This record gives sequence, structure tokens and C-alpha cells, in this order.
Amino acid sequence: MFDGEPACLIEMQSISKAFGPARVLRDVSLRLRPGSVHALMGENGAGKSTLMKILAGVHRCDEGRILKDGKPLHLPSPREALAAGISTVFQELSLLPNLTIAENMFLGREPLLLGGGLDRRRMRAETAAALEELDLKLDPDQLVSTLTIAERQFVEIAHGIKADASVLILDEPTAALNAADVEVLNRSVRRLRAEGRAIVYISHRMDEIFGICDEGTVLKDGQFVATRAIRDVTPDGLIAMMVGRELADLFPPRAASLGQPVLELAGFRATPRARPFDLTLREGEILGLAGLEGQGQQLIMRALIGRHAPAGGTLRLRGQALKFPSPSGGIRAMARLGLGFVPEDRKEEGLMLGLSVAANLVIGLHAERPAFAPARRLKAVVQRMTDTLRIKTASPATPVAALSGGNQQKVLLGRYLAREVKILVIEEPTRGVDIGAKSEIYALLRAFAQAGGAVLVTSRETVELIGLCDRLAVVHGHTVVADLPAGEATEHSILAAALTAEGVAA
Amino acid sequence: MIRWFTSGFSARRSRHGLWGVPLVIAVALVAILSLGTDQFATRENLFNLVAQAMPLLIAAIGQLFVILVGGLDLSVGSIISFSTAILSLDGPAVVLIPAVFVLAAAVGLINGLVITRMGVHPIIATLAMQYVLLGITRILRPVSGGTVPDLVIAAVQGSVLGVPLPLFWGIIAVGLAAKILYGSRFGLHLFAIGGGVAAGMDDAASTYGIRVGRNIVLAYVASALFAALAGVFLAGRIVSGDPNVGLLFELDAITAAAIGGTQLSGGVGSLHGTVLGAIVLALLANGMNLANVSPFIQTAIKGGLLLAIVGLQSRKKMGL
Repeated sequence: MFDGEPACLIEMQSISKAFGPARVLRDVSLRLRPGSVHALMGENGAGKSTLMKILAGVHRCDEGRILKDGKPLHLPSPREALAAGISTVFQELSLLPNLTIAENMFLGREPLLLGGGLDRRRMRAETAAALEELDLKLDPDQLVSTLTIAERQFVEIAHGIKADASVLILDEPTAALNAADVEVLNRSVRRLRAEGRAIVYISHRMDEIFGICDEGTVLKDGQFVATRAIRDVTPDGLIAMMVGRELADLFPPRAASLGQPVLELAGFRATPRARPFDLTLREGEILGLAGLEGQGQQLIMRALIGRHAPAGGTLRLRGQALKFPSPSGGIRAMARLGLGFVPEDRKEEGLMLGLSVAANLVIGLHAERPAFAPARRLKAVVQRMTDTLRIKTASPATPVAALSGGNQQKVLLGRYLAREVKILVIEEPTRGVDIGAKSEIYALLRAFAQAGGAVLVTSRETVELIGLCDRLAVVHGHTVVADLPAGEATEHSILAAALTAEGVAA
Repeated sequence: MIRWFTSGFSARRSRHGLWGVPLVIAVALVAILSLGTDQFATRENLFNLVAQAMPLLIAAIGQLFVILVGGLDLSVGSIISFSTAILSLDGPAVVLIPAVFVLAAAVGLINGLVITRMGVHPIIATLAMQYVLLGITRILRPVSGGTVPDLVIAAVQGSVLGVPLPLFWGIIAVGLAAKILYGSRFGLHLFAIGGGVAAGMDDAASTYGIRVGRNIVLAYVASALFAALAGVFLAGRIVSGDPNVGLLFELDAITAAAIGGTQLSGGVGSLHGTVLGAIVLALLANGMNLANVSPFIQTAIKGGLLLAIVGLQSRKKMGL
């Protein structure tokens, strides 16, 4: 297929992009051929979505250029990208809930009657046809707000396909779909390929990539690694390209010895149907909840701060039996007992972006005092935290929003370290953080554990869990199915443990 | 058709909002007033009612355009007063009438540009415009006076074949708005922009290639033009220019839209709901006047009604 070197339809040359101080793409190139499906691969945060958003006109690149049929393309907004025949199915759902399926399908390119009015009859008919092609039995006049997530995903895909574009970007289109749905999607993708379109396919599922893609480009930490024909590579080879950095350099050494149990769950059932399990976290230990995404890791962690009511089990903190905290005061109550919770979405749930670094650091200390007590400045605490965490900020008065992702994450950690908590429960410790800051955060967490603390952590990046933790509890079907020493675990052994677990309702 | 009708009464999943509520209230008010008083169902009172309701109805339709994109237009009242002042100047009707609409379009354009280009909050931008225009209007006409062109008076007062002329104004305004909101790309894009903003996806509409900024500007132009139309109508009723005639009109217009089921967060609302909202307000005022209720109590009742009706329509309950 590549012997004749067919001319490429789209060429992205030396693309670079930074969001503030964080460089997300460095000198990345991508060539898309007509009539081929191109897999774009890389770990979370490798820059795949950013690269595609540049091609879709959502973001503008700082350096580099985009050619279509050899001619430079200028894409200041999605409008120009659509006009140039580039259509995108975004990972995040972007359908408008207050419009009907038909209106969403044709939004931005509505067919008009002779008099200039909307041709609603044609919108309806063509939408019905497009839905039928995807085996969907939906009424075109239904509001999108009434659809399930999978149905919305399909409507979004139908919208992308319907755009009659020569380039179709599918950013994790199958995340919300089951196997049968994926097959329906693949049929459409093959048909589009046969029509000579260029398709970019972003997915983490290897079977899909090997089932449907012709060639693949791997990105790592915002840099180009390689482009290969899929028939010339193996899944292991691809993973090696995606991961292939020296992990040993990134992670601090593990704990030499562990102390007393500080947090004990016994007979814990996350949901009524889940199998009960026990879990113990010891002083000096970093314990990771590993496994496939969305298998209950988050529910288990959130039960500890009262954001999820477990179906059963007991909780002991430093040997003392406790009731599971309530939704209203759970976080406060647990913080008083020395347990700090760092949520996954630091912007939505954690930081106050408009407030200063100093205010975000000491807010936890203020929270312990009466509401109308005069607020102490706590300058010394702020100074100590910015120094020990090496938070890069112009001054303590700088708004947190102006900091890079890594420094924001450090501020959030600092809030709990300032309170001298003993147990940290952390979701996604390095989400949206660049590689240098990741390494620093790992070192901070290890230092915290060494000083007598204990950490319970989840992450979508299994590699991160393996490197950072002392021990991994593999979660599947809302229960712990295996307990592995992190030093001996591999991505493969974790996946195998999760998928071969018996008697677990997935 | 039946599904469309029942959607006005269901709290869930209609982007037209709960327009069934003002419909029920309007029907109830008509029934109560017809049976309870003998002055209501008279030809004279109904003529009067239509003429009283019309400027509010027209201004509320304009307000609907900006509320749909999650905005607000507080300059409506000043535009109405300003329009009457322009019409009361010396000059031929063929100059004054077009001048009103050109000037109003310019006002709407400035409102829209200040909001989209300078990033000023709609309340502040249009509040500032309200003051500026009020000042200019008082320079033009410090107290009410002057006379408006005969053409305008003739178009507002009187009737054709027993149908009061104001009713035609309403039919034209509603027809025009229906064509724009439901039959044009612009109208659909207004719903799309508002729906995206309300769902916390401010960029959603632009990823579909919609020119968000331009459409928002046009919504403010539409609001200003409908306000000017209301102003011309009022000028025909009072026959002169009056710097205070439009005072607080913007708030009544917002009230009418809200009673009609329009969500101030954007993307949910309807023309028929807004029209019903204006009718409810007019019936309420008319009925309480007939019943000799003090105007102060009328205002308090209006506020209570607004709270009660809007309280019924939480966006969350609608699933939007």
C-alpha cells in the first residue's frame, strides 16, 4: 500500500505548541494519505488530542505549518478547518443538548430552501438515513439531552461522517461503545476509507488499531517517535515506542521498611453487587489502586471521604474504628483526623484558580479555625511550602491560574502537607503535568511517605503506578482482585490479574 | 403536534420551556375576568387591552433573542423613549421613521460589539447604554412634547373591518420573529450558542463552525430593532415624544420572557411562551385596574408571580 508512495492529503510539518510554560508539542510531523486509516498513539498527555485540535482549528500552533494537497492551510478557527474538509469527532462530547439530533447533525452547514429558510425536511430525512447507516433507531427530532452517552457518541460520529469531509479525525470514538457498537463503527470507517478519505484514529485499544488501521504514528511527551505501517509492527513493539523512556530515572527508590497499619478496610463492599475485600495501608507506604479505567478505584477512594456511600465494611484509622464519613462533612472530618484528599480534577474540585498561591496553600489551615477568627498571614508556612515543593511562581500573590499544570498540582499537594496530614488519598497525581514536574511530584510523595506518611493513589497511567508505588491492589468489578508488589508488577501482569479474576461482576 | 403541545406542560426536556404555565394562567385570567366583571368582555376594554399589551409584547420578543444566547438587554427602555423622541422631532415621516430604525440598529450593534469584542458583561454593557441613551433622549426632549407624524398615529389608532390596528402590529412582529427564530440558520444558531453556554461548553457552537461573536451581535441588533418598533407604536399612542415613556420597560420585557418559560442561562425558550408571558402581564394589569387594585399592590403581585413561575422551571428538572 505504501510502495507507490501515494501523495499525502494532509501534511503537518514541525508543529510546536505550548500552553503557557508547558510545552505540549515539540516539532511533531504527521502525514495523512487518502484512503488510509492512520492510528495516532501515545500515552495520556503525549499530545495526541492537542495535535488533532490544531488540525481541527480549535488551537493554533506556535510553530510549524499544515499543508493540504501541498498547499499551505491557514486554520484560525474550526470554521476554516471545516471549510477545508477536515471534520472531527472529539473525545469530549460537544453535542448541544437543547437541539434535536437533526439540528446537531447539520449545525453550521444547514441546508437552505430557495427563500433562505431552513430546509428542515431535508435535515430530517438525511439524518434518518445517516442514523440508519449506523444501525441506530432514533427519531431525528429527539432532543440530544434525551439520549444515552453511547447514543450521543454515535450521533457525534454520524455528524463527523456526514460532513462530507476528506479528512475525518476520530478522537477515541469507542470510549463509550461496547464491542458490537465498535463493529458497526468500523464498518463505517472501512467504507469511508474505500471512498478515499484520510482518517485519523485515536484509540488505546490495540485490537482496534490492528483491526482497522493502515499506519500509525507514535507520540511521546509531545514529541514525534515514529510512523510505521501497522502490518510491520507488533502490539508490544508499539507499546515499547509509546513507553520507551528510562523509568528508573523518573521514579525515586521504594520504601525500605514499612511501619504500622494506618488505614484498614475490612469486608469493604463498594457497591451492593461487588465482592467484599480487605485493604491495609501502612506507614511509609505508597499503595496504588491499579486496573482498567472505571472499575471502581474512584469509588473506593471517594468512600474514604464521604463522596460515595459504600454498601458495607469497616474502616479503621490508626487502629481506631470509624464510621464511613457522610457526604456533607466528610472531607472536613477526615482532614481533622489527618487524612487529606486530592481530587482528580484540580481545576473543578481542588484549586481556587483566581486566588493566589499563598491563599490556596493555607486555606486548609484557615479551615480549621472558627469562621470569624482573624486570618493569620501564615507567611512562614507559605515560604516553607514554596521552597520545599519548589513551586515555580513569580510571587506568593500570583493567581494559581497563571501557574503550569505541574506547579498547580504542587500547590494542591502543599495544601495538605501544610496541614501536616498523615495520609494522602490522591487521584491522578500527575494529570496534565509535564514529565519534569511528574518526576518532582513522585519525589515529593516518596519523601512524604518516608517521613512517616502513607499514600493511597490511583492513576490512569499504569506505568506511573508501577514506578511510584510499593504495592499495587488491582481493582476490577469494584473489588480488589489481586495484591502485587509494585517492584515485580508489569502492565501485562496487572492486566492479566484484572481480566482473569473470577467471580467478579464486571 | 400533540407531543409539541404537551411539551409545554412537562418539566422535562423541551427547549421551548414551560410555556403551558402562562397559557393556563392566561386562560384562567380571561375566564375569571369575563365572569367576574362586566367591564372586561366589552369591545372597548378589549381594544384597550390589545393596545396596552402590544409594546410590551414587541419588546419582549426582542429581549428573547438576547436571552436565548445567555445575554440580557437593559437598554430596551431607553431605546423606546429615544424612538418616541426622534419621531416627535420636526421633519417628514419618510425621514424620521427610517431614522428610528437605523439609529436603533446602531445602538444594538454597539451593545453587541462591546459585549463580544471588549468582553463586557451584558448587564453592564446594556446598563451603560441605557444611561447614555436616556441622557441623549432628555437633551432631545427634556419633557414630553412635540407631535409624531400622522402616518404613525394612523397606523396605531383605529381599526380595519372591526379589527383593532394594534393587533396587526402584533401579528407582523410575531410572524417576523417566528420566521427568524425557527425558519433561519441565524435562529438555530442562537439556540445552539445559548445551549452551549448553558451547558458550560462555551466553545461548542464554534467547533461546529458557527460565528458565535457575529450571531451574538446580531441578537442585540434584533433586540434593539424590536424595541424601536415598540417605541414607534407607543409614539403613535401618546402622539408625542416622551423621555420617560420607556422607563423600566426592559424589566417588564424580561419578566414576560421569563414567565413564558425562557431560561436566562440561554438556549431554552420560545416565541409563543414569550407572547403568552406578555399577555399574562397585560391581563393582570387590565384586570387589577378593573378591580381597582392599587398600582403599588399590582407591582408586588407581578413580582410574586414572576418568582412563583420561574421557581417551577428549574433547568436541572428539564434535563437540559
